[in-house]
Amino acid sequence: MIRLDNVTKIYKGETRAVDGVSLDIQKGEFVFLVGESGSGKSTMLRLFTAEESATAGQVHVAGKDLTRISSGRVPYLRRNIGSVFQDFKLLPQKTVYENVAFALEVIGRPKNIVTTQVPAILDLVGLSHKQKSFPDELSGGEQQRVSIARAFVNRPLILLADEPTGNLDPNTAQEIMRLLDRINRTGTTVVMATHDQTIVDQMRRRVIALRAGQVIRDEQQGVYG
Amino acid sequence: MVRFLRRTGYFVRETWINIRRNLTLTVAAILTVAVGVMLVGLGLMARYASTNALGRWQGGVQFEIFLEPNISGGQIDALGEELRNHPDIERIQYITQEQAFELLEEMLVDEPELLAEVSLESLPPSYRVVPRFAEGELIESLAAQFRQRPGVYSVETGRQQVDAIREWFNSFRWIVLLMSIVLAAASALLIFNMIRVAMFARRREIEVMKLVGATNSFIRLPFIMEGMLHGLAGGIVGAVAAGVLRNHVEELFGRSEILAFFRSFTVTSSQFNTAILATVIMGVVVGALGSAFAAGRFLDV
Ligand SMILES: Nc1ncnc2c1ncn2[C@@H]1O[C@H](COP(=O)(O)OP(=O)(O)OP(=O)(O)O)[C@@H](O)[C@H]1O
Ligand SMILES: [Mg+2]
Repeated sequence: MIRLDNVTKIYKGETRAVDGVSLDIQKGEFVFLVGESGSGKSTMLRLFTAEESATAGQVHVAGKDLTRISSGRVPYLRRNIGSVFQDFKLLPQKTVYENVAFALEVIGRPKNIVTTQVPAILDLVGLSHKQKSFPDELSGGEQQRVSIARAFVNRPLILLADEPTGNLDPNTAQEIMRLLDRINRTGTTVVMATHDQTIVDQMRRRVIALRAGQVIRDEQQGVYG
Repeated sequence: MVRFLRRTGYFVRETWINIRRNLTLTVAAILTVAVGVMLVGLGLMARYASTNALGRWQGGVQFEIFLEPNISGGQIDALGEELRNHPDIERIQYITQEQAFELLEEMLVDEPELLAEVSLESLPPSYRVVPRFAEGELIESLAAQFRQRPGVYSVETGRQQVDAIREWFNSFRWIVLLMSIVLAAASALLIFNMIRVAMFARRREIEVMKLVGATNSFIRLPFIMEGMLHGLAGGIVGAVAAGVLRNHVEELFGRSEILAFFRSFTVTSSQFNTAILATVIMGVVVGALGSAFAAGRFLDV
């Protein structure tokens, strides 16, 4: 599903954020990316969505060679990838329902798909009763569930999460992890960058550890450190 | 495209939100566009009007033979006889010194101090001559035949005036063209800036749209539509203003004796419609250009 061949990313000719990384992530895997701050986790995720392009090496995502992809095809690549962030990136003037529906509307999905898919996904994340609320009326955990609903409503092949529990208390973080686990069980590949040792140790999934842009450890049922 | 059409509701809603958010900027942009394209419209009408007027004169130009103020009655009659019998001359009209003074009085109605300097005796009587043909060259050579006659002070054909007016109009057209270009550019820049502000105000939405895979054209379209709408609104305001001004000016020409000269400067209704349409289209083009540049400039994958 995701393959890197000797990928290097250098920012502005100096910072080596990713340094000669090769790895292979299969369909349906759940992968933790760990490493100290500045080790290149976020950069790696942005390489997957073609927000950044590799300075050297090859990136394949969802069957596409991102070193050759035309900028016109990038949006179609992103329809196969859901993204979740630490700061949720919800639109404050839209309700929960509208925030999720927005993701379908702006890729031109027909109305009947929107009206069936949005309630279904809100039900999945357990927020049906909050669909008319605005983001600032929700707890952090609820906001993150909305953002996961938005990322997943188009049933992407891959879900990327960059420190999704970073702003949440441990109990709420557990809820989010249960949700991501459920999504992973539908066959969706999940890649999650995190600093949360408890979660990584408890889930016992594949762990890829980075340091200064290099892979220093890659274990199938790994732990945080 | 089909997909875009299906999302019309979305585009209309987003465009309306954008416009409402920047009302003052919106008004400024619309007015600038309006003034710019109004000049384009007026310039176009002036161009039509001058072409019409020049064409008309070329077809019916006459010349005037001015006589020495102290010419004798016999000489006047002899010249008159010769002109009347000339095969190339259709008809003539004798203008006495008194009539010449009256004409001058009419022309200088607002400048009495100038009129006071002119005495009746210093004005030349004249023959107005309408030739049988209208070609400027032929009129010119016909007129030349009378230049050296005894008692003739000067012969003036309309040609010099027509040439002078044509020249004047040519430079006028250039000035109007230049001003319209400058104003159109200013309008486009203003719209460019407005769309930039609108895009900045909606950067979170744009970020999310990119994130979930909206195409660039889909993201841009509401902004380009907004710019075109401003252009359209400005174009309509400009066209209405140009129309009102045109009526006003024509009325002025019709009423005022001083401006009677300009009565030939009229545009046909189809020319008027063309000018108005061009004005509105110009507005839309300016709006589309400004916003398309902004949307292209501030939106990369
Ligand atoms: N847009 C950018 N321009 C220049 N340098 C950047 C940019 N983004 C990241 N970097 C640099 O690249 C390196 C890796 O950053 P990255 O954000 O990928 O780390 P990270 O592992 O996600 O860190 P954190 O855990 O703090 O989120 C850092 O040295 C950072 O300063
Ligand atoms: Mg990061």
